[in-house]
Amino acid sequence: MTLVLLTIGFGIVTASILSLLSVGLTLQFGVTNYVNFAYGGYLAIGMFLAYSFSSTLHLPFWLSVVAATLATGLVALVISETLLDPFVRRRNSRFVLLIVTFGLSLIIDSLLQIIYGPSFLEYPISQSQPVSIGPFSFTVAQLAIIFVAIVTMVAVHLLLSRTALGKSMRAMSDNLDLARASGIDTKYVTRWTWFLSGSLAGLGGIVLGMNIVSFQTSSGDAMLFIVFAAVILGGIGQAYGAMLGALIIGLATEISASFISSADKQYIAFAVLLIMLLIRPQGIIAAKGRS
Amino acid sequence: MNIVLSYLATILVFLFIFNIFSIGLNVQFGYAGILNFTIISFMAVGAYFYAVFAMPPADRSNQIFYILGLHWPWPLATLAGIAASAGFGYLVGLVALKRLRSDYLAIATLAVGSMLFGLAGNQTQLFDGWSGLFNVVQPFGSLAVGSPTAFSWIFVGVCGLVMVVIWLFANRLYRSPLGSVMRAVREDQDVVDAFGKSSFHIRMVAMVIGAVIVGIGGILEIQYIGALSPSGWSPSTTFVVWAALLIGGRANNLGSFVGSVVVAVLFNQVTRFLPSISPSSAYLVPNLRNLIIGVLVIAVLWFRPQGLIPERGGGFLEIPLSSTRGTRMPSGGAGEGARGSTVEEV
Repeated sequence: MTLVLLTIGFGIVTASILSLLSVGLTLQFGVTNYVNFAYGGYLAIGMFLAYSFSSTLHLPFWLSVVAATLATGLVALVISETLLDPFVRRRNSRFVLLIVTFGLSLIIDSLLQIIYGPSFLEYPISQSQPVSIGPFSFTVAQLAIIFVAIVTMVAVHLLLSRTALGKSMRAMSDNLDLARASGIDTKYVTRWTWFLSGSLAGLGGIVLGMNIVSFQTSSGDAMLFIVFAAVILGGIGQAYGAMLGALIIGLATEISASFISSADKQYIAFAVLLIMLLIRPQGIIAAKGRS
Repeated sequence: MNIVLSYLATILVFLFIFNIFSIGLNVQFGYAGILNFTIISFMAVGAYFYAVFAMPPADRSNQIFYILGLHWPWPLATLAGIAASAGFGYLVGLVALKRLRSDYLAIATLAVGSMLFGLAGNQTQLFDGWSGLFNVVQPFGSLAVGSPTAFSWIFVGVCGLVMVVIWLFANRLYRSPLGSVMRAVREDQDVVDAFGKSSFHIRMVAMVIGAVIVGIGGILEIQYIGALSPSGWSPSTTFVVWAALLIGGRANNLGSFVGSVVVAVLFNQVTRFLPSISPSSAYLVPNLRNLIIGVLVIAVLWFRPQGLIPERGGGFLEIPLSSTRGTRMPSGGAGEGARGSTVEEV
């Protein structure tokens, strides 16, 4: 029983990381209506920029995290404006966008490998002993991850429910043309959405790096389709669905580790993804008016 | 001179095999519009199953593990490999083609590919994990004992022959009624369904045919090299096949050949001379290569989306993304420039 409780604890940590990543992906898909396959690349950019800021430039770690998060958001924004938006404006090349983002992910991966090399890197934070809280056992880093995730999810909730920007994002996600007709500045909202999506991806990458301790440029790739699983489970375009999906997948993968070998954890996410695509592609929380 | 000839032979073999991959992807994507982001898995399935059927039982004392090991003669093992990739294509099609369109399909194929890659690498009991299979039975090996150059040239002949047969088959398929209906599905799936044809079955046929073709390519590759490990079929290789198809021109096999030449051969060989720039970093060149391929593909998609050799007889009209939101906007034009300036031939 203690083993299951322990894995629930790990599940909460994984769910925290996943929640950041899933919300970023689902918000961006909701507003822009295409999948960004380079999302794994943004994750890696955040992960490695934080490393650069903290290890190479010797900034305090919390500052590196903030700076890297914002920088990744900026990168996502710039890429969207310069590379993706021209393709979007060419209305007849929607599927081309998928291939472009796929190519972009290759470019980002290669670039990061060229800059940082293939070796495993670590953040310059001390690895502490796990702390026991009730039946769970977390390291300080993991507690920080959970805290960051909770704060971020609350912030996202406030953004979506209280601010004009958030409401515009939800409106665009629901029905783009109606949103435009209602006078929402879609360009402005799209830009902010990309910034937010990139920031969440970067932050997710950083906490992932903190959790796995030693990471390399391809560490984010395996995470990417677990993020897809969570996003599709929750309902693509639905932020709260993404949080729910992240929680379910995070817990499911970790708890399953007490029954099957831990290398097979990701197959659970894979199975969930396939089952959802087969029986209910619109996810748990489906948007109104979707097929 | 001998070295040059040997080098040329190797290049030709890889060109022909790579072109077989492109033709396979062309049938799936160019003909039927299936966004298969894991085409290289089909190659791996064909190759691995050929190997485990053709090789003797695994020598566990040497830490080599794999399933089966039936030691069949290589022609039968080849058939087994083809059947395996057809079966795999069927399974992937069952999962991915039933209800999914565009982006969901892409995600599903990407997930399947990632999974297979991880599975093959981590589960050493299946295909010897990351080390892969080696000492695979090579057909015609006895004909060219002691002369690798002769072996290469034999394979130039074999692969060239297989490629030409597949190319002719694919062209025939294109002109056939089945090819026409595949292209109809590519343009507008719902219209085809409305006419009473099962778009699912048509796409499934395209999927399996493409899978078989790519599987044949994979079998040829493992027969030529005699070994295969997961590093030989990483997900980024899928993108190189896509790049060849997109740069060369979709839906026509001459285009995919040109693309194969440009991307797989010219590009890979030209960048072979880059290490002289920076001998210290061994990982620099492959990454630079991938980087440039990525940039090249995006550039081609922007400046010349139809590729170097466009499809004859009407453009490749836009495939609307799965419209899971509200009403579907009638996107893309109808036929050659019917809507004038709003439609660019993609």
